[in-house]
Amino acid sequence: MTAATTSAFTASGSVLARRNPTVKLALLFVVSLAMVFVFDPVTPAVLYIVALATIQASTRLPVKAMALGHVPFVAFGLGIFLVNALSRPGQILWEAGPVRVTVEGLSVGGSLALRTLVIGILAIGFVASTDGVALMGSLHQHARLGSRVTYAVLAGYRMLQEMPREWQTIRQAHAVRARLRPDGTLPRGLSAYRRAAFALLVVSVRKGERMAQSLESRGLGLSPRTTWRKIPLNSTDWLMATTVLAVLGGILALSHILGFLEGYDALFS
Amino acid sequence: MSTSTTPARTRSSWSLKDLVLLVVLGVVFGFLYWVFVQAWTALSILMGPAGDLSQHFLAGSWLLVAPIAIAIVQRPFAGVIAEVLASVIEVVFLGSAVGPMLFIAAAIQGIGSEIPFAATRYRSYGWATYALSGLLGAGLVFFYSAFRSGWYGQDVFFLRLVIHLISGLVLGGLLAKVIVDNLAKTGVVDNFAIGRTRLGKANAR
Amino acid sequence: MPAEPALQLTDVSVEFPRRDSAVLRGVTLRLDPGEHLIVFGASGSGKSTLLQAITGVVPHTVLSTLTGSVSVNGTSTIDASVVELSRHIGVLSQDPSSGVCLPDVEQELALPLENRAVPPEQISARIDHALAAVGAAGLRQRQTDRLSGGEGQRVALAASLIAEPALLLLDEPTSMLDPAGLTAVRQAIDAATAAFGPSVVLVEHRLDDYAGPAGIAGLPERAVVLGDDGRVLADGDTAAVLAGSAGQLNARGCWLPLETELLAVTGRPGGLATPEVRAALRALALPREGDDLQAPRGLGMPNDDGASPAPRIGDTVLTARNVCVSRGAELKKRRRPRRTAETAPAILKHVNFELRRGEITALLGANGTGKTSLLLTLAGLLPPAEGSVAGARPGMVFQNPEHQFVAHSVVDEVRHGLPGDAGRLVKTVLDQHRLIHLADQSPFRLSGGEKRRLSVAAMLAHDRPSLLADEPTFGLDRRDTIATAAAFRQAAAAGRAIFFSSHDLRTVATLADRAVVVAEHTVIADGAIFDVLRDPDVLMRAGLRLPPLLDWLLAEFDSAPDIRRVLNGLDAAVSGATTAPQLSGSRV
Ligand SMILES: Nc1ncnc2c1ncn2[C@@H]1O[C@H](COP(=O)(O)OP(=O)(O)OP(=O)(O)O)[C@@H](O)[C@H]1O
Ligand SMILES: Nc1ncnc2c1ncn2[C@@H]1O[C@H](COP(=O)(O)OP(=O)(O)OP(=O)(O)O)[C@@H](O)[C@H]1O
Ligand SMILES: [Mg+2]
Ligand SMILES: [Mg+2]
Repeated sequence: MTAATTSAFTASGSVLARRNPTVKLALLFVVSLAMVFVFDPVTPAVLYIVALATIQASTRLPVKAMALGHVPFVAFGLGIFLVNALSRPGQILWEAGPVRVTVEGLSVGGSLALRTLVIGILAIGFVASTDGVALMGSLHQHARLGSRVTYAVLAGYRMLQEMPREWQTIRQAHAVRARLRPDGTLPRGLSAYRRAAFALLVVSVRKGERMAQSLESRGLGLSPRTTWRKIPLNSTDWLMATTVLAVLGGILALSHILGFLEGYDALFS
Repeated sequence: MSTSTTPARTRSSWSLKDLVLLVVLGVVFGFLYWVFVQAWTALSILMGPAGDLSQHFLAGSWLLVAPIAIAIVQRPFAGVIAEVLASVIEVVFLGSAVGPMLFIAAAIQGIGSEIPFAATRYRSYGWATYALSGLLGAGLVFFYSAFRSGWYGQDVFFLRLVIHLISGLVLGGLLAKVIVDNLAKTGVVDNFAIGRTRLGKANAR
Repeated sequence: MPAEPALQLTDVSVEFPRRDSAVLRGVTLRLDPGEHLIVFGASGSGKSTLLQAITGVVPHTVLSTLTGSVSVNGTSTIDASVVELSRHIGVLSQDPSSGVCLPDVEQELALPLENRAVPPEQISARIDHALAAVGAAGLRQRQTDRLSGGEGQRVALAASLIAEPALLLLDEPTSMLDPAGLTAVRQAIDAATAAFGPSVVLVEHRLDDYAGPAGIAGLPERAVVLGDDGRVLADGDTAAVLAGSAGQLNARGCWLPLETELLAVTGRPGGLATPEVRAALRALALPREGDDLQAPRGLGMPNDDGASPAPRIGDTVLTARNVCVSRGAELKKRRRPRRTAETAPAILKHVNFELRRGEITALLGANGTGKTSLLLTLAGLLPPAEGSVAGARPGMVFQNPEHQFVAHSVVDEVRHGLPGDAGRLVKTVLDQHRLIHLADQSPFRLSGGEKRRLSVAAMLAHDRPSLLADEPTFGLDRRDTIATAAAFRQAAAAGRAIFFSSHDLRTVATLADRAVVVAEHTVIADGAIFDVLRDPDVLMRAGLRLPPLLDWLLAEFDSAPDIRRVLNGLDAAVSGATTAPQLSGSRV
């Protein structure tokens, strides 16, 4: 099968990579959803550490790859943290002119930033251990995703794979005939990009139409159909699901008992 | 004897062609966003706290795909499906910073963008409909994001809302019409519903 | 009881909106199970449309009006959906880039089988079998986005055969293939015929290569000729059809088997085996007044006729020095971390050559040897992994014409990037490439050959010291191939260097002064065209195979101008080839 070409790195063959993609996606979803209702910094911090350790152990990603994967989430989280710290009313901790930092701001901001990290580390683990093609296959087999939608998305995935090259080719095909600027260089402005982006859209729509024809001519949509490569879904997957949910529940419960857990009200306290 | 057919559109099930079109739109815009976000992330880090605010200026561009899909395919749920497919592409294949919660955001955006078109029973494609579509899409998803990201209770809440709505109107609504009209001119969407209606209008004239 | 026909078309006409005239008119056709049919017709005569009418894409998917009736294995296409019809039909569409839809080659081939509910345990073996049949056994583990043009075409063909359909529709299955690929396609179809006996409808341009040594007998037994107005001009036994309308077909610019072409030109049947035909060809080789323009001009080219043409090969405009062509360099430059881990091996190494003003150079080589990659590197679009390319900004015609289109109409497309006062030039270019009747159409609505012509025309309208063209004549009919060649010659005469890749050796021999051959990851030959074509070792290593006519010409004549005169003489028999196109008006 293909490597997860669009992930920053792959961990094929790792413990996590052998798990069923649908189950992984569902777990990612459930944890992310649960996080939406948590507004204290301690709970997500604990969750993050647990998740980081588990994912590092089960994917054996190189530290560098792991760090690189974190960059967008850290950046995103930092932004959220700063805005909240500076713009949330409440008990003033520090003030200088228009700039003011509140306790509530720090707490909520920290919580939201850490939440981003939790979702981030799970997403890194998911993407690094999951082949997009296998995921679609698994969704088709285990989540009743229709064959036409599945293959439409897979065809889209192929287009996506080709897109950087397509984009480059289009830019260059345009550049070849473009009139040079007086100083002899290629026009680089926004309008050149706009044109290329539009051409990409046009060429892709066109290609999509032909792909659809091609898929139909190969009988996509006939029933009954068979599946060649079964994506396994076995007891280990269920075990993983149960464990993850249990740990999540455990941490939330513990946090509640110890008085750390805060819900939505934290925003308005 | 001769039979003449320009097959009637069956409303029953989605044709593969239409489905693939929605995916293609998702892929193309997903890719363009991705290119765009690369540059954007760097910029927003540089801007510090303003970076978080600045996301609202471009929020509307995430809405684009829904009105375009609806205008081309002209059938119910096209907008919602297109948005969700675009988010699937983003999360599963490109790896988005928002994670799977993006699916929900996408669905909400799609619903918002689709309501104005649904209200005209997918018949009117004037500036007003597009504008409303962008406004509603941006509006609905704003409240969801606000909940998810804890914007409530912030000082800048209303500033966020206003920027968000304007962006939705311009980038998620009016720009969509410009793109659709240009796309129709190239002839690549002739074989979709939009091609039929345009042809019908041309013949009536 | 007479068997149900595999295919029955009754009085079929097809019209597209926004086109004044019908594309097919009153086509009636019946094909028995197991019968093989070849469709002849000039570019734009509606061959692809005919195939689409059979698959049901016209009128179900493409906005169009179909009158009359089509039925496949007794199922009327009006009642059945395209998917339903696919149970009976295997299709290879004309555009190779969209023939492959899924990320992996394996998945691509498994899909038709899965859809037809083939038991999973049989699928793997059938994939192997189908790939082997098209000579692509090595491609099974590949990702489809890394296939070259020809490799992709083979995979698409395997996918259309794998489910053993009752009716095979092949739209130019060999347009981008090397000789080995062509033989493989031929054998794959023969093997399919032996294994499950499908009916076949074939649209094919490279007839001699396809038919092989058997000549006309190697083609499908039945032929249909489509006229420029979309009517069936002839239908019947292939040999009889070809014999009956040889002159007319040749004049219209259809590709024909050599024997038929020679019949049209010399008036004598029997092909090269016949002494009279050979005599007529020898007569064509005699120099005439004022035709030295067409003679090859090359370094070291023997110039044995008295009036030696002024050597027009000028200074160097593009130099490749020790270039190493690799796809890896491109990926690194894109700074996408995910792919750098996979180190891309060099596609071509130690490439050294120069392009000179006034010289037409052909780039030859098997599928996947790196012709496209080399051209992209020369054009400065793919950074070389080593070495350097120096020279003024070249023009480039891409393998996929659609990549170049920027405008909403054919005329604006040609005008793109030209100075404002270029109106006359635009018109001349449109005329020369037989596009004037399509001036207001959207580039994306054209037929395969029309798109190819437009992409070449649009580039030629620009004045660049060198022009690189990636398979500029694939998918063109004979008339348009000749016209494109004429345009290239004209450009060369005006002092441009031209470098084009091609699998069509006859066109190469007619047009090029010089050939560069790539194989074994490097340039294995670079020299005067006929010297290269005469070198059996180079031909063998590069997997090139001379078509019968060239083979004979090279054996018969020592002098390059003689050979060139014969080839040009044969081209001259195609009407509108070198002069202004007269046929273009017929469709407007
Ligand atoms: N969807 C369409 N809308 C309008 N015109 C079309 C459409 N499809 C094809 N045509 C036109 O119909 C004519 C026949 O096209 P078709 O693709 O069948 O030609 P062809 O014989 O296959 O040519 P080629 O050898 O170049 O592939 C062309 O002139 C083309 O421009
Ligand atoms: N984007 C890519 N990434 C990696 N490998 C590629 C890429 N594109 C092509 N290749 C590989 O590089 C080699 C050369 O490809 P190229 O397209 O240059 O061949 P070609 O000589 O033009 O073949 P054809 O005659 O089939 O068009 C092939 O083996 C191909 O599989
Ligand atoms: Mg065609
Ligand atoms: Mg190539």
